[in-house]
Amino acid sequence: MTAVLSILKSGASRKVKFLALFIAVLATLSLVRMWADVLDLTSRGTISAALGLAVPIGLAGLGGLWAERAGVVNIGLEGMMILGTFGAGWLGWQYGPWAGLLGAILFGLLGGGIFALATVTFGVDQIIAGTAINILGLGFAQFFAKIAFSKAPGGGPTQSPSISALPTFTFDRLSDPLVSLHGKGYFIISELAGLISGVFFRLSILTVFSAGLFAATAFILWRTPFGLRLRSVGENPHAADSLGVNVYLYKYIGVLTSGVMAALGGAFLAIAASGVYREGQTGGRGFIGLATMIFGNWRPGGTAIGAGLFGYIDALRLRDANGTAMRAIVLLGALALIVLAILAIRKKRYQVVFGLGITAAVLISWFLLTTALPREVALVAPYLATLLVLAFASQRLRPPAADGIPYRKGESK
Amino acid sequence: MLAVELQGIWKRFPGVIANSNINLKVEQGSVHAIVGENGAGKSTLMKILYGMQRADEGTISVNGKIVEFDSPSDSIEVGIGMVHQHFMLADNFTVLENVVLGSEPTKAGSIDFAAAKSRISEISDSYGLEIDADALVGDLGVGDRQRVEILKVLYRGARILILDEPTAVLVPHEVDELFEALRGLKSEGITVIFISHKLDEVLQIADEITVIRRGTTVATLNQKTQTVTAEQLAELMVGSELPTPETRGSTVTEQVVLLVSELTSVNSDGKAEISDLSFKIHAGEILGIAGVEGNGQSELVEAIMGTRAATGSIWINDQDASKLGTRKRRELGVAYIPEDRSRLALLLDAPLWENRILGHQTQAPNAKGIRLTPKLTKMDTKRIIQEFDVRTPGIDVLASALSGGNQQKFIVGREMSGNPILLIASHPTRGVDVGAQAAIWDELRAAREKGLAVLLISADLDELIGMSDSIKVILRGKFVADADPATVTPQQLGNAMTGALKAAN
Ligand SMILES: Nc1ncnc2c1ncn2[C@@H]1O[C@H](COP(=O)(O)OP(=O)(O)OP(=O)(O)O)[C@@H](O)[C@H]1O
Ligand SMILES: [Mg+2]
Repeated sequence: MTAVLSILKSGASRKVKFLALFIAVLATLSLVRMWADVLDLTSRGTISAALGLAVPIGLAGLGGLWAERAGVVNIGLEGMMILGTFGAGWLGWQYGPWAGLLGAILFGLLGGGIFALATVTFGVDQIIAGTAINILGLGFAQFFAKIAFSKAPGGGPTQSPSISALPTFTFDRLSDPLVSLHGKGYFIISELAGLISGVFFRLSILTVFSAGLFAATAFILWRTPFGLRLRSVGENPHAADSLGVNVYLYKYIGVLTSGVMAALGGAFLAIAASGVYREGQTGGRGFIGLATMIFGNWRPGGTAIGAGLFGYIDALRLRDANGTAMRAIVLLGALALIVLAILAIRKKRYQVVFGLGITAAVLISWFLLTTALPREVALVAPYLATLLVLAFASQRLRPPAADGIPYRKGESK
Repeated sequence: MLAVELQGIWKRFPGVIANSNINLKVEQGSVHAIVGENGAGKSTLMKILYGMQRADEGTISVNGKIVEFDSPSDSIEVGIGMVHQHFMLADNFTVLENVVLGSEPTKAGSIDFAAAKSRISEISDSYGLEIDADALVGDLGVGDRQRVEILKVLYRGARILILDEPTAVLVPHEVDELFEALRGLKSEGITVIFISHKLDEVLQIADEITVIRRGTTVATLNQKTQTVTAEQLAELMVGSELPTPETRGSTVTEQVVLLVSELTSVNSDGKAEISDLSFKIHAGEILGIAGVEGNGQSELVEAIMGTRAATGSIWINDQDASKLGTRKRRELGVAYIPEDRSRLALLLDAPLWENRILGHQTQAPNAKGIRLTPKLTKMDTKRIIQEFDVRTPGIDVLASALSGGNQQKFIVGREMSGNPILLIASHPTRGVDVGAQAAIWDELRAAREKGLAVLLISADLDELIGMSDSIKVILRGKFVADADPATVTPQQLGNAMTGALKAAN
């Protein structure tokens, strides 16, 4: 562990650092799997489910990132996601899944457009406008779902008829041997096998597409003139304006893209995850997406990791009938806290070390004294994890400097 | 050949006429200075020329052609560049990102970072700007930021350069470097329009000088054909004599107001920003701190005000204040003029009278018990505006509508209210015109005679030497020398500040 830490501290290239971190995570998972004796921790089913659960959260987070990089705090992601589920269901059941995607995009543009009009053009407080979008999105979807789906064959007031499925890929020749390798329970090797087999098992084309969106976002925002300008609007709009960057235009683009991303997250839920639009389908994922974006330090890579984490814990919880896997997660959490504590010791922040140490000790004794985790606790685990992560990471986060501040042209500062 | 000609420019804001019938001619390849008191309308005029604001009336000609600007990109196109009074930089961006923003070189759709980098180092080499393109702007000191701003403008190939108070934040040798760079630009045929309140600098660098008073151009003086003096300029600007910072006689008493010992503050990387600073200030004493910016002055001030964690002890008026919060310290009678007024001293989007409450929210005349007393606050705000000659249409305007110098005068007025016993002043006259400078100095002198203890930090060495009873030189967070204001010269002090000399006397 300390070896990995020193690699991370050293001047090694980012690839090397990433590899080191990756191996460390696998090793920890492996140790926990052995100690807690839960093979399902890294099984094909778990990983595959985790990926499916991570995608909508990640897309919502990506949506948040686009808006906040342009300086607009978007807590209306949940509402935009709901609009996306409805758009996907409405066009999807009639004209097929591809049309469903298009529907989600259109409704995402609608949500983003209203939000941009309120926050960018009229300078309405972004939190209030975001809350309004959440209420509006929900009400809109409920109202029109009743009209659109009540009389449809196989539909109802809160549910659309089913949407035909999009293609998925399964690489059996790769996946199946890896599954048996996973079953052998080798140190690290099995984890790696489980991971790969899970990723290539019933891989939805939407998942591939989403991964592409992450890569594209990273490239566009950090490598192109367009992206630099968009981010400059979130950092210092007055400076951007003084160099001839059209601040309002870039804010609009950021917020509209945000709406589309969140809506695509909703479309994934409707089309790939369940095959129908259903009321309450998003279940707060828009907010979790926002949290993953903050966890990911307003960067695509970090957001993806955050979403993966949530998806993973959620998947374990869902597949864990007797609570043993969640018990292993308690141990995993304790180990993570210990790593953080070591980092804090190096920084000489002893109060933090103390807090982390106590929490880790409580978790470990909990692990040792129980054999399974109550369902209720398992239910809140992802949220607890969010809180923990945000509480300890918040000091290292670097949000865009002008995030959340309405911009009015010509006001000299 | 005229690079710029402005004719009959008018600009009105609600309640203020910022520019009224401005006429200005700027020769190509010359340095043209614009001087005028705070709120005279200099920045507004430059923003109009740069396309950031639109004139209500009047015409702008550039290189003999009449132009109309809708946005800065129009003016950038005809070769105008502006360095603003307040830095226009994104702290979370690198120097490179800040510089190329808006005119990025591309290769196959993405930013060509390599080309940008070589271009930047080319420019910074040929004008001696010396900047690391990969540094994060948030990590740079003010002198470096200034150079980044100039780099930004040159990078866009500007032939007409507007500099709005570029020297306000620089120390003498940085000013010399800047002027060296400006002379280089001039010899390449670049036109420079230069705003400053420091008249000696203006006389040093400018070919022509235009004076603006209450929004109108009142005179243009040519240094090639006539001898211009600072007195003459001051006369034209404010109709008064040139003030000098000077305190007569010592008023230092035996009573220690601020006692600081072994003050140390470490940043998040474990590096000491200030280490082992010990000193005392008596009632009636002004202690000056000299140093190049970024050598621990800000950290020292923050530690004393309680906004930065530090070890060591701080006693204010025989009370241990080391463990007290900032509000408690202020209630002991500490007044504070911070270095960054828009970030630390004002709520720009709040009306002036609400800003009067800031930092004094528990004290009269703003509060009685748990209740705020807006009526009294408003009355007192009016008093400050009168006593300190803050030029504003009223007390209900937003703080952001005041010109830079008038914001500063307001802050000084607020902090001097309520008879403080200790004043922590960072650059109290930065960006303030000669008239207001005199008023602030008078105020400090009067308060000092009544027993105010002052910690004075200033980049203006004349001010530092003239006002202080004793001077300490700070370098990399440590006191490296003491100087006697009675004998030390600005040159000696400047050398001590950069570590060139061990002691200044
Ligand atoms: N956006 C604005 N809204 C309202 N009033 C403004 C605005 N900008 C400037 N003013 C007013 O116009 C006048 C001229 O301001 P300006 O900033 O041009 O002065 P200045 O000569 O640059 O002063 P200083 O030397 O203090 O920087 C001031 O009275 C100021 O209050
Ligand atoms: Mg100005």
